[in-house]
Amino acid sequence: MNASTDIELDPAVKSRPDYPPVAIDARASHQVFIAEDNEQTSLTALSEQCQTGEKLSIVADAESLPVSLAELPLSTALYVSGSEGYLWDIHNRLTEMGFGVDKIHLLAPASAARRLFCTHCYTTMEGVAHTPYTCTGCGRPLLVRDHFSRILGAYVGVQINAEDPADLPATESLDESASDVKEAC
Amino acid sequence: MSDPIQVRVAAVRTVSPKIREFTLEAVSGQLFSFSPGSHVVVTMKGTNAEGKAKVWKNAYSLVSDGFDASRYVIAVRLQDESRGGSVFMHTQVKEGDTLEITPPSNLFAPVWSAKKHVLIAGGVGITPFMSYLPEMKRRGAATEMHYSYRGDATGAYREELQVDEQTPVTFYDGAAGERCDLKAVLGSQPLGTHFYVCGPESLIEGVQETAMELGLPSSNIHFEAFAAPQPGQPFAVQLEGSGLNIQVSEDESLLEALERSGVEVPNLCRGGVCGQCRTQVVDGEPEHRDSFLSDTEKADNDCLMPCVSRARSSSLTLSI
Repeated sequence: MNASTDIELDPAVKSRPDYPPVAIDARASHQVFIAEDNEQTSLTALSEQCQTGEKLSIVADAESLPVSLAELPLSTALYVSGSEGYLWDIHNRLTEMGFGVDKIHLLAPASAARRLFCTHCYTTMEGVAHTPYTCTGCGRPLLVRDHFSRILGAYVGVQINAEDPADLPATESLDESASDVKEAC
Repeated sequence: MSDPIQVRVAAVRTVSPKIREFTLEAVSGQLFSFSPGSHVVVTMKGTNAEGKAKVWKNAYSLVSDGFDASRYVIAVRLQDESRGGSVFMHTQVKEGDTLEITPPSNLFAPVWSAKKHVLIAGGVGITPFMSYLPEMKRRGAATEMHYSYRGDATGAYREELQVDEQTPVTFYDGAAGERCDLKAVLGSQPLGTHFYVCGPESLIEGVQETAMELGLPSSNIHFEAFAAPQPGQPFAVQLEGSGLNIQVSEDESLLEALERSGVEVPNLCRGGVCGQCRTQVVDGEPEHRDSFLSDTEKADNDCLMPCVSRARSSSLTLSI
């Protein structure tokens, strides 16, 4: 297909996570709210609704997540809010600690900005808001795909003009709420 | 589907009042090693009550160590409401006989990222865990087992499961009034524990309900419910693709009737759990007996799992 042809967001991209609305897990013995920073208003609102279980609120990144969480029981529910890459870093750290995946609730990321993984030089970039995006590692213009790696918490980027260096499509925003997302393939 | 394997029955022994164990060796060549929780489907060629030729195919867990590819061992419980398969194994199969089996497949593998494994077995449901234990020991994985049985019927392998420090087993003899307190067992486990249940439906439901009450993650509860197909009312089947008309008798499954007529349907578990044999229904009302399709899919009535499901109407039309 011609690289300049616009197509709709491919609903068949199964690797892309969806983030259904999160409700309080009333059966959980412990309720843990984990935020990337103090700006996570929907998490604060959810935490204020929570009337059951022992409540704990944490602002931390995956590396500084308290190891004492691993002492909590299996019946603990966790609610995580932040950028999409952050959500999956925390998710992966929590599953490593032994929490069950259906006890880890990820709130919809507030921003459409993506973590991007360059499939050519393996550089990871944060806050990518448009496509194509110039790789900060190898300088290739990358098409930001909808394919998502939960282990990396990142979307994959592939060189968009590999066949014809002159064929470089116009830059588009990745913010779906602002405009229809287009992906060339 | 993979080619079937011919095996010779090298030994038969009784391991509980209602459970017989069969040791199988390859007629020629070598068997495959297998992962813990694997099963094989055994083809049994016998005759039914009216003396007509009949083929049964039942799935049985492998109870031997998967590292030992010199033999496979299966254990068969004589079913009270058998359609004949387990009766055949108990009364007809002798040392030296040849049987046909599928290569092992696994729908019940352990989750190796678990920090601890809790095995909950009921009766002949001990079988898949017999291949778990040697591998758990090799890996040094924290494991405990809770084994309920009725001493007057089941309770196989109790001697082999001698208590050792790494894999402690608690025994509960229902015939002596002993019961496993699921709430106590499930409620006291550390983070990272995965639970595996194999046994009667009541045990599986009991574990699921208790886990929900305790707020445990359902992602950490694994179960295997091989329900051998149950008999039912006879019905007629029309096949749209091949134009065949088939009668399904009360003691054979739809899948068996199809196979008897030369219609091959991909299948793996023959117990309504794996989803391989899903077949499109064009007309008629299925009686869903599987645990694979969702409630919505069942309500749509446009497909069924012929390995266990039957017809509520007097006839069914299938797309095949």
